[in-house]
Amino acid sequence: MTPRDLARMSTLALLLTQGVNALSQAALLFFLGVGLTLIFGIMRIVNFAHGTLYMLGAFIGYSLVRYTGSYWLALVLAPLTVGAIGTAFELGILRRLYRRDAHAFLMVTFGLALVTGEAVRLLWGSDALQVPPPALLSGVVFLMDEPFPVYRLFLMSFGIVVAIAIWQLLERTRLGLLIRATSQNAEMVHALGVDVKLVRSGVFGIGCGLAALGGVLAAPLVTAAHGMAATAVIDAFVIVIIGGMGSFLGSLIGALLVAFVQVFGNYYLPDFALAFMYLVMLLVLVVRPGGLLGKEA
Amino acid sequence: MQKPNPLPALGGLAVVCLLIAAPFGLPVFAMTLLTELVILGLFAMSLDLMVGYANLVSFGHAAAYGLGAYASGYMLLNSSMPLPVVVLLAALLTGGVAIGVGWVCTLATGVSFSMLTLAFAQLLYAIAFKWTSVTGGSDGLAGIPRRAGPFSITIFTSKTGFYYFALTCLIGAYFMCRALVRSPFGLVLRGIRENEAKTLVLGYNTRLYKITVIAIAYALGGLAGALYAPFAGFANTELLFWLLSGQALIMVIVGGQGTLIGPILGAAFFMLLEHQLSSYTEAWALFFGLIFIAFVLFAPEGIWGLARRAFARARAPTGARHG
Amino acid sequence: MAEALLEVDDLTKRYGALVAVDGVSMHVQKGEVRAVIGPNGAGKTTLFHLITGVVPPTSGSVRFSGSEITRLAPHAICQRGLSRTFQLTSLFPRMSARENAMLAAQGRHRRRWMPFGGTDVFASARAAGEDALEQLGLSHVADRPAGLLSHGDQRLLEVAMAMAQHPELLLLDEPTQGLSVEETAQAVETLAQFLDKARITVLLVEHDMEVVFRLAHRITVLHRGAVIADDVPEAVKANARVQEAYLGGIE
Repeated sequence: MTPRDLARMSTLALLLTQGVNALSQAALLFFLGVGLTLIFGIMRIVNFAHGTLYMLGAFIGYSLVRYTGSYWLALVLAPLTVGAIGTAFELGILRRLYRRDAHAFLMVTFGLALVTGEAVRLLWGSDALQVPPPALLSGVVFLMDEPFPVYRLFLMSFGIVVAIAIWQLLERTRLGLLIRATSQNAEMVHALGVDVKLVRSGVFGIGCGLAALGGVLAAPLVTAAHGMAATAVIDAFVIVIIGGMGSFLGSLIGALLVAFVQVFGNYYLPDFALAFMYLVMLLVLVVRPGGLLGKEA
Repeated sequence: MQKPNPLPALGGLAVVCLLIAAPFGLPVFAMTLLTELVILGLFAMSLDLMVGYANLVSFGHAAAYGLGAYASGYMLLNSSMPLPVVVLLAALLTGGVAIGVGWVCTLATGVSFSMLTLAFAQLLYAIAFKWTSVTGGSDGLAGIPRRAGPFSITIFTSKTGFYYFALTCLIGAYFMCRALVRSPFGLVLRGIRENEAKTLVLGYNTRLYKITVIAIAYALGGLAGALYAPFAGFANTELLFWLLSGQALIMVIVGGQGTLIGPILGAAFFMLLEHQLSSYTEAWALFFGLIFIAFVLFAPEGIWGLARRAFARARAPTGARHG
Repeated sequence: MAEALLEVDDLTKRYGALVAVDGVSMHVQKGEVRAVIGPNGAGKTTLFHLITGVVPPTSGSVRFSGSEITRLAPHAICQRGLSRTFQLTSLFPRMSARENAMLAAQGRHRRRWMPFGGTDVFASARAAGEDALEQLGLSHVADRPAGLLSHGDQRLLEVAMAMAQHPELLLLDEPTQGLSVEETAQAVETLAQFLDKARITVLLVEHDMEVVFRLAHRITVLHRGAVIADDVPEAVKANARVQEAYLGGIE
């Protein structure tokens, strides 16, 4: 939509359009944030590779779509692949660091980010790649005479579905109980006979998979590109800081907040979008270093 | 109490002599590589000041490099100021901006601090793309000349002359950093690194010290960038990209943090991989990342740290440890 | 009566509904060794945090040598002449005991920030540091990394570091915390001799009553954040309210 189109719309239609944009953006950000917060909750580390894994998801999605023709397959396989990579990384490398300080974790996940970033550059080249959405989801629907991209509506709904699914998983299943218990008191859980190491590996893998899911979903909207990774990790970090490290609900709130700020900020002050994010991050870190709902960072 | 060991000083002197004599023995392409190493070594060393001595892990040091490069490139293209003046001005400008950056980033600590440094570098990256009139947008600045020095000293226009200028900058920066870390200020940095809370209670305004070291580190990083622009002849957004920040951090860790020399070795190691491996495989940067992970896991003190430990053990075979 | 060195007036700290420190007032005279005691959770360490600027008070004031220090930052308060130790040992573990003491001493030096040279700063800091180590009987371990010292020596090093700053008021937060019976006895002897010689004003938080009666001139008793007694040791020992606070009353 051109700015002129936007100007011609009624206020309500405008709010609705931007609202849909914001909510679909929030869905993407939620996938990024919830993975990071889950990982932090369980392992007390910030996974610096989160942004690159998001990007990896997008690129793997691209290849899967290209070679199988099925976006839906990509939607399933890309997160699984990246989740497996994440679990392997945790098993092989992160496990050795549990006795060391937080810095070592940061460095190592940073190393993972670099290696993954370079791998992506090697395998897919330096250019941005277009990922077409499935036929079912392309096109627009009309509400109040305004066009709404079906894909964005899909994102919104999918985001809600996954959020509910994760919430139910955490609250009602045994696995969820294990995850919550381990994030509060790993030693106690260990004393109860649970293999905490397995929980950690699993959660790390799930977190990485969720990031990749975000990436695959984002690809048709923003194209798979290299700038994604750094922006994604900062976005994820901001969300988790706002909502609180380790808080599921917080990542939801954070994603919504950030998405709305980004979308409406971009509408009113398009050139300052990035500066805006920086300021938001700053503000939150200064005012509430623990986040709105969270544990110690 | 051991006698002061003359070997490091002699070794250093030998290396410096070799570096000074290099243009007379090495072919042109090797000199180009050596000049690049000097610049990259300066960049890595500047980061070590923050990371190795004050435990301020920056993921955005490319901001210093890029800012210095764009500043010097712009001044060289749009004014007739002599090269050394431009380079030093660009470094000072970067240091000045870094005071603001440091003030903001030190509002947080730990991981949040690191993320803020990254965010700032990303901000600069985005600005560089958008502010086309000054930065040339995605094309960057090209055709940056190596201008003559003041009083018509044309020495810098030649490759050899420029090499000596860069070398002077590196050696000067090294001695400056060395003096800094051995001074009372340096002792405070050590305290901040080991136990910031205690250092604060002992009466030190730790935030000021952190901001100062950040400004100096960025200024020296900007110096490196400012040298890079006339060396390469261009400045573009790649110089602000987070991968470069990452590579700098790797040079520091792999080379040996907290040693000043180590990061220079790390830069050499990096260039070795880049120029040797790249003929065999395009994945050399990936190997660099893997080596980095290996060092973090198994040899966190880096190459130079390992070497120093080996020397110390060789000198005290009875196992007697100094304090 | 001479103006007190430290004047705490109606100092209060509230955390939501919880009142950690409740209107505490006390005056500490120059040269006095004042102990602050009370059962667990009485607010003793919080009181220290309030005085040294680590935690901002909800209300009330702290005056030192006549000037208001209530909301100053911790490093600024240290510069005014108050040095403290911590209940949980906080040192520079990889630096030697001597370097720990030097860094502490340097903290009060006018040119502690010198970015080059500084031989005179180092010389004076070294002298003050080594002197403090000697006063606390730590000279024999001066070159050992602080992290490798025995727990008792670490507690004493904390005190030495505070002393190396030549403070006017020394705040000791449970100096015998975590020490065995023998270590405590040794530490107390060292402290007693050192306090006798140094004639310095001390505010001391302690759990161990033997230590308190050995070292203090006056005792302030806290219970649930408020002062319930402020007197010489013999009187406090006999005070009924104090006995009840320590022995009885489950609330």
